[in-house]
Amino acid sequence: MTIDTEPHRTDPLAAMLRQYEVERFYYDEAALLDAHRYEEWVALFTDDTHYFLPIRRTKSRRELADEFTKPGEMAFFDDTKIVLEGRVKKLMTGRSWSEDPPSRTRRLITNVRVTGDEGNELAVESNFHLYRTRLKSEEDSWIGSRHDTLRRSGDNFQIAKRWVYLEQTVLLSRNLSNFF
Amino acid sequence: MRVDATNADDVVSVERGEIDRRIYSDEEIFEQEMELIFGRAWLFLCHETQIRNPGDFFEAPMGRDNVLVVRQKDGSIKALLNTCAHRGNAVCRAEEGNAKSFLCTYHGWSYGIDGRLKGVPGMKNFYNGDLDKAAHGLREIAQLASYRGFVFGTHDPTAPPLDDYLGATGRLGIDLLAAKGAIEVVPGIQKFVINCNWKFAVDNLFDWYHPQVTHASAFTPGVFPGAPSVEVAGNPSVIDTGDVQMEGGGDLDIPVTTITGTTFDQVVVIGEYGHGVGGPTASSKASSSNFDYEWRKTPEAREALGPVGVQVAGHPNIFPTLWVTTTNQVSLRIPRDPQHTEIWWFTFAPVDTPPEVRQLLIGFANHVFGPAGLLEQDDGENWAQATMQTVGIASRRVPHVLKMGAGRGKVIKEHGLARIETTTNEHGQLWTYHAWAQWMKGLDWHSLRTSTTPPDIL
Repeated sequence: MTIDTEPHRTDPLAAMLRQYEVERFYYDEAALLDAHRYEEWVALFTDDTHYFLPIRRTKSRRELADEFTKPGEMAFFDDTKIVLEGRVKKLMTGRSWSEDPPSRTRRLITNVRVTGDEGNELAVESNFHLYRTRLKSEEDSWIGSRHDTLRRSGDNFQIAKRWVYLEQTVLLSRNLSNFF
Repeated sequence: MRVDATNADDVVSVERGEIDRRIYSDEEIFEQEMELIFGRAWLFLCHETQIRNPGDFFEAPMGRDNVLVVRQKDGSIKALLNTCAHRGNAVCRAEEGNAKSFLCTYHGWSYGIDGRLKGVPGMKNFYNGDLDKAAHGLREIAQLASYRGFVFGTHDPTAPPLDDYLGATGRLGIDLLAAKGAIEVVPGIQKFVINCNWKFAVDNLFDWYHPQVTHASAFTPGVFPGAPSVEVAGNPSVIDTGDVQMEGGGDLDIPVTTITGTTFDQVVVIGEYGHGVGGPTASSKASSSNFDYEWRKTPEAREALGPVGVQVAGHPNIFPTLWVTTTNQVSLRIPRDPQHTEIWWFTFAPVDTPPEVRQLLIGFANHVFGPAGLLEQDDGENWAQATMQTVGIASRRVPHVLKMGAGRGKVIKEHGLARIETTTNEHGQLWTYHAWAQWMKGLDWHSLRTSTTPPDIL
């Protein structure tokens, strides 16, 4: 994982407008997921999207370049749009027991930074906290970052790439039946 | 509660097909398991392709011990307890990597990759040279051996050789993956924690009764994109729904696929020490959806598996906790405490596979199992809830029931393997628990083998 710093902007008003558009998009997206409106959520992804959550490993500092697995290696999520749509269909069957009763989730999206702007496509990094409770006493809390490619589509964006980096190595949950 | 020779065969009653639920949460039984099962059995550590070069290491669990499996300069492999011989701190805090030496960050004792103590700060000034370095190396585990690249270790110096321990059934379990040709581990071991007892996770791998309900959503047409069609054409023998009614009314809607909602031919192989394989026969319709089925037709595979093994396409468990899947994966179910189990998934790909085929294999593995797997994401809650219900004083008196086919499994012994030919059943689970009870008696190795020799009827 590399950290990009925000490119220098000569026009602060344009940068503020862009920042506002991106943040509004993320808040609307998070609201869809927290409301379990999965079919509307998956429509936000482009047909060529790549939804990827690599495995993270405890490595010594000198080997930190290998901390996260890469495409072509194993991951927790490594999905095309079609696979994401399959996951959504599963949730909508009424028999997806790990989400019935549904989990209660709340997503906090913060630290939104536009790190690249090609005009039609933005590179955006954001932090998230996804809090989940299930049944009577099950609690999960995931914090991490998302490295997205957002493609302009009319007045809105579509997600052309989402790579999710979790702050855990051994996943401290029994499943990942939710989206980041 | 203790399990010993006086009560083991009642705690696990093969006759009644009933198990005492207390074995899933009792602290004392867990301690016994650590000593009598995980302190003695050959346990899977890693695959040789994970540690190709000198200094490559992978930290593996053996019970509650953490073991560094390290490739040596001469190409051999050692397994060392990851604990400093001085005050116990871990000498390696990474889960895998390459090292020239292992350094304890407490007082600075450093060890070679062979475990020999090499450096001690203050050897002259503080110890006056009076410390026997040869006596304070990292401790090696009692025995280490490989079968077809799968590295196993045991804490018991008196354990039989790995080949004997695996026997025909355990070797078949690994051959069902290894006979596909030269294979290697794909980087990235999925690791996650389920708040369940480890035996629920093992029990489930033989269970071909649950997919049609637990995984009903995943088997709904259209959910598994890119996978071979699992819909059944024609007029399959659809199973009865047994008068099951949904909570909101209406009948249970079981999806009809090659694996769910229908009957199909199954074979259960049971072996000494508790190894087993359970699931479809290779020629059953449930196997036709295995997209890598063709490999079984090669002369090499037929030779390796033998006439009985070539017909076996179910799930092997190498006792106690190594599950070999039909999706080129193995899964370890690692007990952490009575009510927590870590699941580790190792994924394999054939060496020299075209990138697009490799990606297909990896994708399939990713989308089926693991915490986000379309199947496995629904498993953990069953086991977690089941584990919780073994604590209440009334609930724990209700037995864990394995009566399906119990007492009706005729064991056919041919070509060194003992098998039961049947349809959906609970023989595999029952055999595993029977073996568990024998291990818990603390028998010597000879008696353990005798008491886990397959009977004529199960």
